[in-house]
Formats: sequence, structure tokens, C-alpha cells
Amino acid sequence: MEEFVKITIDGKHINALKGSNLLQLAKDNGIPIPSLCYHKKLSPTGACRLCLVKIKGTNGLVASCTVQVKEEMEVTAFDDELEECRKYLLDYLVSEHNEENDNSYTDEFFELLKKYNLYDKSKRKYPSVWKLMNYSKDDSSPVLTYDASKCIKCFRCIKACDEVQGKNVLSFNDRGMGSYIIAGFDKWKESECDGCGECIQLCPTGAIVEKPHRSEININNLDRKVKTTCPYCGVGCQIEMQVKDEKILRSNGVEGVSPNDGRLCIKGRFGYDFVQSKERLTHPLIKKNGKFEKASWDEALDLIASKFNECIDKYGNEALAGYSSAKCTNEENYIFQKFIRTVFGNNNVDYCTRLCHASTVTAMLRSIGDGAGSNSIEDFETTDCLLVTGNNIIETHPITATYVKRGVSKGMQVIIIDPKWTPLVNYASIWLQPRLGTDVALLNGMIRYIIQNDLMDKKFIESRIDNGMQAFEYLKKLCQKYTPAYVEQITGVPGKLMTEAARIYATSPTSMIATGMGMSQQVTGTNNVFSLINMMLITAQIGKERAGIDPPRGQNNVQGATDVGASPLNYPGYIPVTNDENRRKVAEIWNVPYESLSSKPGLTTVEIAHAAYNGKIKALYIMGENPMLTDPNLNHAKESFNKLDFLVVQDIFHTETTAFADVILPAASFAEKNGTFVNSDRRVLRVRKVVDSPGEARNDWKIILDIAQRMGKPMKTYNNESEIFDEIAAVTPIMAGINHERIEEHGIQWPCYDKNHPGTSTLFLEKFNTPNGKAKLNPVDYVAQQEKVSDEYPFLLNSGRILYQYHSSTMSRKNDALNAFANKSYVLMHPNDVIKHNFIDGIEVKLTSARGNLTTTLRISEEVLEGELFMPWHFSESPVNNLTRDELDPHSKIAPFKLSACKVEKV
Amino acid sequence: MNTEEILLKYKPDKENLIQILHEIQDLHPQQYLTETDLLKVAKYLNITRSFVYGVVGYYSMFSTTPRGKYIIRLCESPVCNMFNSKMIAEKLKEILKIDINQTTADGLFTLELSECLGLCGNKPSMMINRETYTELDENNIELIIKNLRNN
Ligand code: SF4
Ligand code: SF4
Ligand code: FES
Ligand code: FES
Repeated sequence: MEEFVKITIDGKHINALKGSNLLQLAKDNGIPIPSLCYHKKLSPTGACRLCLVKIKGTNGLVASCTVQVKEEMEVTAFDDELEECRKYLLDYLVSEHNEENDNSYTDEFFELLKKYNLYDKSKRKYPSVWKLMNYSKDDSSPVLTYDASKCIKCFRCIKACDEVQGKNVLSFNDRGMGSYIIAGFDKWKESECDGCGECIQLCPTGAIVEKPHRSEININNLDRKVKTTCPYCGVGCQIEMQVKDEKILRSNGVEGVSPNDGRLCIKGRFGYDFVQSKERLTHPLIKKNGKFEKASWDEALDLIASKFNECIDKYGNEALAGYSSAKCTNEENYIFQKFIRTVFGNNNVDYCTRLCHASTVTAMLRSIGDGAGSNSIEDFETTDCLLVTGNNIIETHPITATYVKRGVSKGMQVIIIDPKWTPLVNYASIWLQPRLGTDVALLNGMIRYIIQNDLMDKKFIESRIDNGMQAFEYLKKLCQKYTPAYVEQITGVPGKLMTEAARIYATSPTSMIATGMGMSQQVTGTNNVFSLINMMLITAQIGKERAGIDPPRGQNNVQGATDVGASPLNYPGYIPVTNDENRRKVAEIWNVPYESLSSKPGLTTVEIAHAAYNGKIKALYIMGENPMLTDPNLNHAKESFNKLDFLVVQDIFHTETTAFADVILPAASFAEKNGTFVNSDRRVLRVRKVVDSPGEARNDWKIILDIAQRMGKPMKTYNNESEIFDEIAAVTPIMAGINHERIEEHGIQWPCYDKNHPGTSTLFLEKFNTPNGKAKLNPVDYVAQQEKVSDEYPFLLNSGRILYQYHSSTMSRKNDALNAFANKSYVLMHPNDVIKHNFIDGIEVKLTSARGNLTTTLRISEEVLEGELFMPWHFSESPVNNLTRDELDPHSKIAPFKLSACKVEKV
Repeated sequence: MNTEEILLKYKPDKENLIQILHEIQDLHPQQYLTETDLLKVAKYLNITRSFVYGVVGYYSMFSTTPRGKYIIRLCESPVCNMFNSKMIAEKLKEILKIDINQTTADGLFTLELSECLGLCGNKPSMMINRETYTELDENNIELIIKNLRNN
């Protein structure tokens, strides 16, 4: 129980939570006790002693950062003796510190030196002892340098890496005065360091500094700092970009704000150079005689307008479609879908979500009524058990993973289901390694065990599941045959491990599920998630805090794009296009005739490509997507795109897709515009303009409005993005209470129904979002995969992502820092297979499936099972999607990126 | 015995780190820890490399560079120091023709200084590998080294 106590600091009366940290309490109450080794995010170290105070009744001076407050404490924080003592201590501390190049001090360290009049070296009493120590520098990391001569041994970096990021890469070497910080065997580059830079951000003295733009950074003369949202993954980390002479020089995590509280991964910290890359598109380009030529905006926009109109005249409305973008803001996606619905007059708008979580969302919508994550990112630290299925969370959602790792250090149990090893295995209690494509069997086996051992929650089943026990009985019957032996035979997972995992998941006070592409990108994607949800429902691991299901979203705004209606099936706020009442309401707000809004569901991403192949789609408008790398069965997709009459691609770079375009339009990057993204925990977060766009590049939404205008179908115009958001709020009930102003400091999690609504951190506490408020069980049987190994194609290929690159790597590969860690395609093969086929590690190999082939480098690895392979798909020179299939999951139309039979040959 | 066999004798718990490092180092004819071995240890115990390296660096009895067959660790702590360990050190340097922390050309001896060995009663003291030698003086050390050389 929280208990409050009364204490005084320098005569000031303070009501404090018992046991809170004295130093932090003083700071929070405007009593700035000096400190150096302490940081809010870290456990106290008590190393620098600067935070000394006197406490009545205690002998001597005590370090306030190590004190927990108690009733009636009387503290003296400032008096002459204390200040004298601090000055002496600081003087002594800085004698170990090499003050050359002091441009990387944190503000607090800088202020401290000034305060005690020690910034000026001549005012110091102690000689520079660091000069005697013969300290070395570790310059081996691609992203940072450690200079022991600047290090005062506050240990903040060691704790930053360990306690904040959960990596524990750092330690110290030697004893006493000569000790210094080490990574790995005293060589950063060969350590486990993944370049997140948390240690850089927390190092007060500049002993650990970043390499990118090092010579240009000077904290004393920055032009501005702008807070915005990271453009990479769906965690939505808040970053502060520092600018000098219109150049972005640094990206820091914003402390004290969700979802990241100052933490970043390497992409958020060092992945911004693409913004100001020379390769940015700066002018509209029109293809003339097979070659792209620079054009004026007028020329390009007029051409697009006339071609789109021509297409409508010739083939009718239905012959046009658009790909919206998970990289663009809500405001832009909203305008894009409005354009498709009102100007093209159909619902043919989709984007890459169809390629990643469509099956998850489909299953979640049908079972519980919402496709978004039910919890907050912070809950990943506090839940008792986390089940991670087909989700390499450390690499794909690095900051969400920091919460998991912190949870593990406090006793959280992690269960992993993944055919491939992932780094989280090092933190897990149990790792189940099923063969590719056998998830339903495994999950049904777990359900059977749970039922047999009476670990389900009957009360929950009766009160919150549609048809209660009757539905349950049906599930029970269906799962009957999934005995541990049967499941082991299908999946290869030992029965005992499977049942132990089921027991932990079902019996933990709270269990959460993080489900990823491994589950969703299969022909049986929707069924996989149905089975997972069935298990969650019967054990009542949802409908309470810190329990539920969360599909960490891949891209920065994959959540938001669908939220605001970039979907062939739903209007903004997940209201089906078939809902007449809603179309009527929206028509009024959009100021268009209700009849003009089509009620016919549109085509999905891969369906659009198929329709192009069959001549049904003639013109396509793509905003910020790269289907010519991300679509399955690429050879076929390319043929489809070649058949289009007219293709417009709006992007920030040339991509595999722009090559197919008739017109390319240069767009603004995330750092050049205002707006919002929605992250994986439904948090609407601000995006702010940091710098101007290069050349003539323009904001996406402005381009769209221009095209509409020139097509003779003008859409409503806006003065700024905030006005667009207000319209989004008007048509999107789940965001009705949000506007730009409200989220200036902190994001708000939808649903947020009105201006006074605080937002929602956990979904489904009282009811599910289905028509009758109850969840639905959807029992599913295991079906063996159609795609099987054969004599010709003896391997099953899995594909996925890695930490250092991102998606089709259009952005990430334009950053030297990221490329320094990983810039080469490879395929992982089990050692036994390598021996069997007489290969050697590192050779070039050719992979061939029934669809196509590619070459890449072979890496020997125990991370995959025998007979299975794994390839990252970021590298366009070895496009994994040459090999994948475009057979779709019947429910969600997702493609099976995770499983392709292929063969491997030496080249 | 090889590194893997040593590891398997222990539970993969980092509490066993120091014991494991000792055994592996003893196993090596040149009495040191290679990076390959340290990597194996880190992996087996599921701890990071710097953690292992930090422990190795902290304790003077571990070495990451090759050493002699016989490691002489002469106590330099106060008690021994008072009873002439400095002079013994000089004498050893002279006999072996090496400096502190160096290894003789024939790879037989490495000379190191150490913290108190807990043998203060019979000071000055030293250890050579696992053997203890006490009440040293100019004469007996010459003999000790000679015996080992002829071994
Ligand atoms: S950059 Fe990140 S991973 Fe590397 S040592 Fe610093 S905190 Fe640890
Ligand atoms: S975790 Fe995601 S949002 Fe956060 S810094 Fe990394 S890429 Fe950006
Ligand atoms: S801040 Fe308290 S000892 Fe350093
Ligand atoms: S002081 Fe030398 S053995 Fe104790």
C-alpha cells in the first residue's frame, strides 16, 4: 500500500511517498541537489558522492541518492560545509577527466562545473591525473568511441546498457584508478553491442560519444531541437532531432515520455541520414521513351489528372486503385483514402498491412472485435507471463523488447514459439521450436492440455464468450485428438515442453501474447491466430489489465493507416464500407453525395496486382510503398505491373517500384512534415517538421489534393495538418476526442471518444468490441501445408527481418551507421545440412523455388532446424520474394511469406 | 580434458565462472585464457563477453597472454614487503633475466607479483603454480628455481 510521510528538506515541508528516493524527491520539489552518477532511469550507484546531505540523527554525510525517505526525516541539502565538500569532490573527480573537446557534456555536467566554478581549468586545485594513467581509446565500434581519459567512472553507461536496455554489454576492467569501461574482450566492435547508443545518451562527460557527425556536433550552438516520432518501426519512439545549419546532426530519445522514456534502438538513433541523402527525389519525373525526364509539377500533375480521367472514361471507375502507405502520416493516409473513395469512386485502397498482419487483424476482429493490441507497451514489463509467437521482438521491436527484458529480470516468464532461434531465447523460460507451418497443431495441443487439467476459467467462458459453455464444448471436442504424442509427431515439439508452456501460460496471474509475422504470414495465418485467441479466451488471459493479445506492428504507422481508413473494407475507425448509416454521415462531412460513395468492398493489395494482371485494373496510384520488392511471387507481380496503362509512384527515393512508373512524384520525408502516427499500442503521437524538403519535394496530402483539383473533382482544402486531423476525429469515433493540441506533450491511446476522455490503455476490460459485446471462439483444425518439400525442393525457406535494416531498406540502407552492422544478404542453414550437401560456410549459393531464384551467401547456423532455411528479406539484390508464393490465406488474403519449398546449389 | 568437458562439469550458472576459468587456464600449457575459450565460457553461462573479461581482468591470477610453465607469484603485500620481498624480487629477476610480468625465453617461468597469499606467518612467501614456498631468502630461491629447471 502506498503510504505518505512528512519530511523537511532545508526547512521545506514535503509530503512524500514512503520509500521514495530522497535525491529524486528533492529534485522534483525544486531543490536541485547536485548529482552526477545518479539518473532517474537507473538504480542508484552512490559513486560520485556529490549528492551528499545531512540527515538529522544520522552521523556524517550521506549520499542522498541512496536514501529512501522515512517519516519525519529532516534533511539539510545546502549549507556551506556541504557545498565546500561538493566542490572538493567535483574538483577531485574532474582531475581524472580529460577536458579536451568538451562539446559532448550533458547539460547537467556542464552546469555543475559552472556552478562550482571549475569549468575553467585554472580554477581547479588538483592536477590532471588522467595524463599519468596512459588510458586507451576504444574506437572500434562503427557508431561510438570510448575514451577512458574522459571517463569519471560514474557507471551510468554500464547501468544504461544493463538496466535500461537489458543487454549488459558493458563491464569494467582492471582495478582501482586504472579501471575503465569495456565492451566484449576490450574491443567494442567484437562485443554484443548493437549500437543503440543508450550509453552515449546517459554518459555525462562525453567519454562515450557517437561517431556520426561527431565533428559537427557542439551542444552549445545548435540551431534547434525538434521532438518527433521515429520513422521506422511501430514502437513509435519519441526522438529529439538536433539541427545545425539546416542539417540533422543527432537524434536523442526523449526522456520521461511514453512509449520509450528516452530509449532508442540503433535505427531511431542513427537511422536519420537518409533524410538528407543525395539520392532523395527532388523533382517530378515523367517517363518518356522509356527514360525518366525531369518535369515541372504542373506538367506532371496535369498528365496524371488527364490519364486518370481518361482511364475512368475508357474503363470505368473500377479500373483504378491506390496503395496507401504505412510510412505516411494519418493525415496523409486519410486524405489518400478519401481521394480513392471520392475521386476514383471506389474502395480499391489498401497497403502493405495486407502483407503483414492482415490475418492477425482478421482473426482478432472476428473473435474480439478489435484488431489492435489490447495492452500498453509498458505492460510488457509488468505482466507475469509473456507468450511470444513468431515474433523476433528484440530485432523487430527493440524498445518493446527492453520492457520484456526488464520484466524478465524481475521474474517474468517468457515462453517463445518460433521455428527459428531469436535473441529473446536467451531470456526465455521455454522455447518451443515447431516445424514451419504447424502452429495450429501446437496451439490446439496446448488447449487440449489446459482443458484436460481444468486450467480454464469457466466463469469467464460463461460470462464473456458467445454461447458460453456450448461454444467451449465444441472447441473441447475439436481439440480432443491433439494429444502430446500427436502434436509432437506433427510439430517436432516434445510433449513435455508443450504442456509445461501451456501450464505456465494458463496459470500465471496475467499472461500477454505478442504475436508476429511468423504466425500471420502463412496460408493458414488467420487460423493460427484463431487458435491462439481460443487459448487466450478459455484461460481468461484477456479482459483484465496486463493480459491480452498484442501484434507489435511492423511499420511506424501501419496501425494508423488502417485506423484512418486506408482499407478496402473499412472506413475510418473500422466501420465497414457496407455500413449505410456511416456512409451517409461521412458523405455529409466530406460534402459529397451519399450515392457517390461505393458500398462495394474494394480489392486488397495482392488482389490489385492480380487484377492488373487480368486487365481489370488499368491505373494505379502508389504513395510511399515498394510492392516490387515486398509483394510475394515477384516475377508474377512484375508482369502485372507491366500490364498497367498508367502508374504513378510518389516516394522519397527511387525504389524497385519507381522503375515501373510513368510518373514519379517527389514527396516529403517524415522529418519534413507535421502530422501524427499511431504506434503499436494505439497511441496517437505527434510528427513534427524538423527541416525543409529537398528540391521541389512536396507533402503527400498537398499532392493528392492537387491531383483531385486538376481532375476537376476538387476536394476540401486545409491550412494545416491539424485541420485534417480534426476532420479525422469527426469521422473516426475511436479518435473523436483527440486533436493535435491534446497530444503536444504525450500521446493518447485510442479509443478516446471525447475531449475529456483520457484514452484507453487496456482494451476489453468490460466487454469485447463485437456486436453483442462477447468474444467468439473459432475452433480450427490443423491442415497440413500444401507447399511441401520434395526431392526437387528439399528445403523450406523462412524469411524475416533483422535489427539493422528495415523493410525494403529504401530508408535504412541510406545510413552508413546501419550498413556498418549489416549490409549483406545471407541464408542460414543448419550445420547438418551444410555437411550433408557438401557446402562450406560463406560460399555463394543459388536458391530456386517453383516461382523463381536468387543468389546469396550461405551461413552455417544452429538457429534454424534441419531442413529449414532463413533469409532476411531487406536486400533487393537477393529478393526473397522471387521465391515466395502468392497463394492467399482465404480469410485475410495475406500471402505465405514464411514458407517456400526450394533447393540450394553452389554457384 | 578439453574446454567443453570442463564446462559440462558445471551447471550453467554464472556463480561457477571463476572456478571454470581456473580449470581452463590450468589446462592450458601456457597457463592463459584464449579468446576462443572465453567465448565458449560466455556462451555456456549465457553471460556477456565483457562480464567474463571484466572478471579475468580483475583477478591478477588470470592472464589473457601466454605465460610460462611455472608461474611465480611473489607476495608484495605489507607483511612480506617488510621482510624483504623486494630483495627477493630483485634476485628472481636476476636469476631469470626477466622483468616482472615477463616470461623467460625458454617459456619456463613467468614472474608476477601478488596480493597477500595468506602465508604471512612464514614471510616472505611466494607460490609457484599451486605450490607454496615460504621463508624465502637469497639462497633457497636459487635452489628452488634450479630444481624446477632440471625437472
Ligand atoms: S550502444 Fe547500446 S548496446 Fe552498445 S554498449 Fe551502449 S548501451 Fe550497450
Ligand atoms: S524501437 Fe522502433 S520506434 Fe523505437 S527507435 Fe527503434 S525503430 Fe524507432
Ligand atoms: S549522485 Fe549520489 S553518489 Fe552520485
Ligand atoms: S603479506 Fe605476504 S603472504 Fe600475507
